Amino acid sequence: MLKLIGAVIVLLSATMAGFYMGRQLNQRTLQIRGLLLALQLLETEILYGATPLKQAFDKLGRRLPPELGRIFNTASENLASPNGQSTQSSIQAAIDRHWSGTAMKPSEKEVLMSLGYVLGNSDREDQKKHLQLAMSHLRSLETEARDEQGRYERMYRSLGFLSGLLVVILMF
Amino acid sequence: MNEIDSILPQALRRVLSALPIHIRENVEEIRLRQNLPVEIRFGQQNHFLTEAGQITTNFRLGYVFREELSGQLLNQISQHSLYALEEELKRGYITIVGGHRIGISGKVVMERGEVKGIRDITSFNIRIAKEKRGVAKPVLSYLYERGRILNTLIISPPQCGKTTLLRDMARSISYGNECSSSRKVAIVDERSELAGCLNGVPQRDVGPRTDVLDACPKAVGMMMMIRSMSPDVIIVDEIGRPEDSEAIWEAIHAGVSVICSAHGIDLADISRRPGLGKLIQQGAFQRYIVMGRSRGVGTIHGIYDERYNLMQKPLDQSRNQPPDKPQTQMSQKEQLPC
Repeated sequence: MLKLIGAVIVLLSATMAGFYMGRQLNQRTLQIRGLLLALQLLETEILYGATPLKQAFDKLGRRLPPELGRIFNTASENLASPNGQSTQSSIQAAIDRHWSGTAMKPSEKEVLMSLGYVLGNSDREDQKKHLQLAMSHLRSLETEARDEQGRYERMYRSLGFLSGLLVVILMF
Repeated sequence: MNEIDSILPQALRRVLSALPIHIRENVEEIRLRQNLPVEIRFGQQNHFLTEAGQITTNFRLGYVFREELSGQLLNQISQHSLYALEEELKRGYITIVGGHRIGISGKVVMERGEVKGIRDITSFNIRIAKEKRGVAKPVLSYLYERGRILNTLIISPPQCGKTTLLRDMARSISYGNECSSSRKVAIVDERSELAGCLNGVPQRDVGPRTDVLDACPKAVGMMMMIRSMSPDVIIVDEIGRPEDSEAIWEAIHAGVSVICSAHGIDLADISRRPGLGKLIQQGAFQRYIVMGRSRGVGTIHGIYDERYNLMQKPLDQSRNQPPDKPQTQMSQKEQLPC
C-alpha cells in the first residue's frame, strides 16, 4: 500500500516537473514578445512624446503583465530616488532584482542590460537607434525561443511522465 | 531655494545648507564648473564656497565640483532623460520648477551649420529667480489714459530690472490695480524669461488673466495672440528686429495696446537704432520709461510722454525698496489683487 502511494507521488511530481519545464518554454516566448511590445511603447514615448524615462517606465509598468511590469516599476522608483543613483545603475538594479521572476534566459537579460547603459543619455535619434537594435536582437531571440518551444515543449511534458514511470518501474 | 535643493546632488546640498542663513536666503547664482570650486553670487558679490559651507575669496580653498557630481546634477535636471531636453540644449538653458534658470555650456554638437545641442556639459549656472512684486507700482498711474492702456516702451541697459518691471506690470494689469480694473494680458515670451514657463505653465505669478505664448518668436507670436486670444494688452520683451516693428503696428491698429522693452541708454540713443527709431518717429508709443542702475537695479530715470516731455523726474525706487533688505513680504501685501 505504502509503495503504491509512493509510486503515485513520484509519478505525479515527475509529470508536474515536465509540465513546468514545458510551460517555462512557452512563457519565455510570451515574455520576449511582451518585452518587444514594451520597447516599442518606450520608443513611441521617447520619440513622439519626449516623455521623461520615469513617467515612461510608470506607463510600461501599468500596461505590461506583472512579471515584466515589476522591472519597470522598480526602475522608475530607483530613478526618482534622491540619492543620486545613475540612470544606468537604476535600470540595471531593477533588472537584476526581478529577473529571476521571469522565464527568460541570460541572453535576453544581456540585451536589456546593454540598453540600460544608453537609455536617457543621448538625443532622440540616438535613443531610437539603440532601441531598434535591442528590438532586432529580441526578435531573433524570439524566433529562437519559438523554435525551441515547438521542438521541446511536448517532449518535456511526455519526458516528465515517462521518467516518473521509469522510476516507478525500477522501484517495483 | 527648496526647488533648487531638490535637484542638487546630496554632497553639494550639504555644503550649501551649511551656509549662514543671511547668505543662503540671498543667493542669486550658483556657478558650477567641472573640477573647479563652486562659486556663489549674492548681493552683487562673488565668492567661492568651502567644504564647510563658508565663503572665501581664495579659490584654492573652494569646494571642488567633481565630475560625478556634474553627472548627478545633469541626471536630476533632465530627470534621467536628456532626449527630453533637446530644445533646451539647443538654446543653452533649462527652466526648472519655480522658474529658475540653469545656463549650461560644454561641447557643442553641430549639424548642417546649426547648433544641434550640447554634449559633455561641464558648466552650470543656476540663476535663482526672485519675485520682486510691486516694482511697477510707481509707474502704473502713467500707463493709463481714460481707461485705456497706453503703448509703452521701456528703455534700459541690460541687467537693470527691465524684465522684472515688465513682469510686474503684466501682473498688476492682470490682477487690476488702483488705476484700473483687471485686463486681459497676453505675454509673448520668446526667451521664457517673463513667465518662466515649464511645460507651458508659467512658474512666475503673471496674474490670473494672463495668457503666455512660450518660446515663440515675438513678431509671429504677437500676431498669433491678437488673432487667437483677443488681449487688451500685449507684453513683449526686447524688441528690435524690423519684423517686430511691423507686428507692433499691427497690434496697435487692431486696438491692442503694446508694452515692450528695448536695450538702450536713453530716448536719443534708441531713436538712432534703425528699426526702433522709425517706430518711435511714427509715434507708435505714448509713454517711454527710461531705466538705469544709478541708484541700484531698477532705478527709473524718467517717464516721457509721446512728445518726449519729461512727466516724472527720476524715481528713487530705493526709497521704498532698499536693495540690501528683501522687501518681498511687504510689497506682496500691497500687491494683493484689488
